[in-house]
Amino acid sequence: MTRAPEGSRLVRRTLRTPITTRVLLLSAAAAVLIGTVMVVLIVAVTGQRDAARSAFRSQEALAAGNQLEKSLLSIENGVRGYVASRRERFLDPANEALASYPGEVRRLTTLVDDDPGQQARAQEIGGEIDDYVKLWARPLIGVARRQPAQARSIVITNQGRLRLDRIQRDFNGLFARERAVINAREKRAEQGSSRAIGVGAGGLALVILVTLGVTLYLRRAVVRPVVTVAAATGRLAAGELSARVPARRHDELGDLARGFNTMADSLQRSRDELEHSNAELKRSNAELDQFASVTSHDLQAPLTTISMYAELIERRHASDLNGGMALVDGIRNATQEARTLIRDLLEYSRAGRGELALEDVPAGDMVTRALEALAGPIEAAGARVTVADLPILRVDRAGVCRVFQNLIGNAVKFRVPGRPPEVAIGAAREGAMWRLWIRDNGIGMQPADAERIFEPFKRLHGEEAYPGTGIGLAICERIVSQHGGRIWATSTPGAGSTFLFTLPAAED
Amino acid sequence: MRRLGLLLAVVLVAAGCGGSSRPASPTTAGDDGPAPLRIGTKNFAEQFLLGELYKQALEAKGFRVELKENIGSSEIIHQALADGALDMYPEYIGVLLSEVANVRARPASPAAAYKRAQAFERGNGFMLLGMTPFSDANALAVTPGFARRYHLRGIGDLAQVPGGVRIGAPPEFRTRFEGLVGLTQRYGLRDARAQPMAIGRQYAALDSGKVDAAAVFTTDGQLASGRYVVLDDPRGVFGTQHVAPIISRAALRSHGPRAQAVIDAVSRRLTAAAMQRMNAAVQLRGRASADVADEFLRGAGLK
Repeated sequence: MTRAPEGSRLVRRTLRTPITTRVLLLSAAAAVLIGTVMVVLIVAVTGQRDAARSAFRSQEALAAGNQLEKSLLSIENGVRGYVASRRERFLDPANEALASYPGEVRRLTTLVDDDPGQQARAQEIGGEIDDYVKLWARPLIGVARRQPAQARSIVITNQGRLRLDRIQRDFNGLFARERAVINAREKRAEQGSSRAIGVGAGGLALVILVTLGVTLYLRRAVVRPVVTVAAATGRLAAGELSARVPARRHDELGDLARGFNTMADSLQRSRDELEHSNAELKRSNAELDQFASVTSHDLQAPLTTISMYAELIERRHASDLNGGMALVDGIRNATQEARTLIRDLLEYSRAGRGELALEDVPAGDMVTRALEALAGPIEAAGARVTVADLPILRVDRAGVCRVFQNLIGNAVKFRVPGRPPEVAIGAAREGAMWRLWIRDNGIGMQPADAERIFEPFKRLHGEEAYPGTGIGLAICERIVSQHGGRIWATSTPGAGSTFLFTLPAAED
Repeated sequence: MRRLGLLLAVVLVAAGCGGSSRPASPTTAGDDGPAPLRIGTKNFAEQFLLGELYKQALEAKGFRVELKENIGSSEIIHQALADGALDMYPEYIGVLLSEVANVRARPASPAAAYKRAQAFERGNGFMLLGMTPFSDANALAVTPGFARRYHLRGIGDLAQVPGGVRIGAPPEFRTRFEGLVGLTQRYGLRDARAQPMAIGRQYAALDSGKVDAAAVFTTDGQLASGRYVVLDDPRGVFGTQHVAPIISRAALRSHGPRAQAVIDAVSRRLTAAAMQRMNAAVQLRGRASADVADEFLRGAGLK
């Protein structure tokens, strides 16, 4: 006992999963992969956007801090200028800055509120600036108005500058920290963007790979088997019934392959049976023809002998026989009848056998030959025959002559008593063939009979009414068929029949 | 009771939402009671000590205090007080009268000076709290060696120094009566020159010889070391300088008489000896004003 290795068991399990499920699973996996890539990208892009935003915010904070520093310098310089000169215009920029600085402090504090340490620094700076303004700059202006000399001596101490220097140091701390924050954010943003680019490129490559993989897989798993089956179908259609496809799979394509093979099996079986019965039929037909041919040939010699003896009896012993002569006539008539029958039979068995001597023959010539052969019966019946323009055919002259002769003879023979026969012969082009017809105004027949009359020895009427062996139409059918044509009849009982047949046209 | 409080809170919140857009002052937000008392100090060591003493005593009694140190000279800090940027600061009564109130005539006694100053402040919406026992007067000090060389006893002897005397002093010294103005008027020291420097630096300047004399305060800790000689002031350029806290009457109203009692209790205990000891601890031994003040208040049972 050998056990199947794990791998092949897996393969078998895979093959048992329907293709629909597999395609669904693959699509879901691809969707999940693409979704993951998208999410990572979105996260990276969002992170970068946030970093850029906060970096921008930090820049704004730096700008706000610089503005605030500028305002402070305006105040200090304005106050010093005023104290030194006592000119109010020196105070204009200072007053402007005094009005604007609280808003600037608030703006700075708001801009750094995402970092608690920075916010504390900004608030501390705000407090120092408040102290500088309220406990230094404004009082100094007040002193300068009332005691200018004192104000000047106070300004010399540079205490304002010292306060500003302290504030500036704090500002520098704030700025340095904010720049560090900006750098960190920019670095983070840069890393984020390179990560995003990496993820995007990697994801794209992965998606392409997965798509390629899925395509290759579908090609291997679906397209190739289908193409195989299609090719086999083509071979089958071309007649190669042995065409089969491998049917190892257990999915829908396996079902398709098995279905195809079953169909091919069944087709092959049917064709084998057909071929077999066809061959059987051919063999028995051939045997029958052979038998008929041999039999008719062999029967002719004894008949000739009987007929010859009957003649000898008549010639030499007519006086001895008295009334016995009538019996001898009976022998002679029966023998004649048998010989006709045998001749027809022989002709029938020969018709359709052997090579056709094909040549271009005007149909009119063959009709004329037939009418000459039938001149007696035509005259006797008082028939009128109308022949339209007839084409040139590519046929065996003797055979087709026989066809015209049989059909025109029938048209004259099966006439309504007391009505002179009228026979019309015509032709019309039908592709590579000509359709020819012979119409009469004779007795006609039932439509059901119109199909049976081409069978050998089929007679619709008693021999007393219309003489004949009943083999003529069967011979016509064989000759027309051998030319690749067909023969049929339409009829209205009591009003007449039309016999139609097709024969190949002469080559242009 | 609880429900009433809740209702009140709701009403307050509603009022805050729908009411004025003026932002609440950060010092009053989130608590009841008055805003912290803003105490300022001038720009030298003794003032830092005084600020710490008043602040810590008040805080020990549950008052909230905001101490703004090192603001500047009397002119500036008084202006800040007048502007409403401060509620209180300890001031030397003589300086207040001569430099802020512009009173040239020297009052007959510290009590008279206090009365005069009180009248001045009341007119501005302020008042003086209790006066300290100590007086931190201005004075001129020289090194013993310099004094020996030029036989110096009093300020008038400085006229004997050839080329004029260089005095290390705060900038305002040049323009004040208790400065070059008074020295020129009373002692005729026309050649004297003031070299402006931050208060506290003049001893080092004196030691290094950058200046010949230094404007000092009589409670300076350095004076207790014996390395300096204070020159006599027989013609009375420098007056007595007892300290009294000047406080805005509005602030006093909102903090109540208990605050005044605490401040007065501190002032009462500040004798000259106590001040010199504390100044020495800070200025000579480098201790922190806050620690020294804390020690003193604990010793005095004020904390």
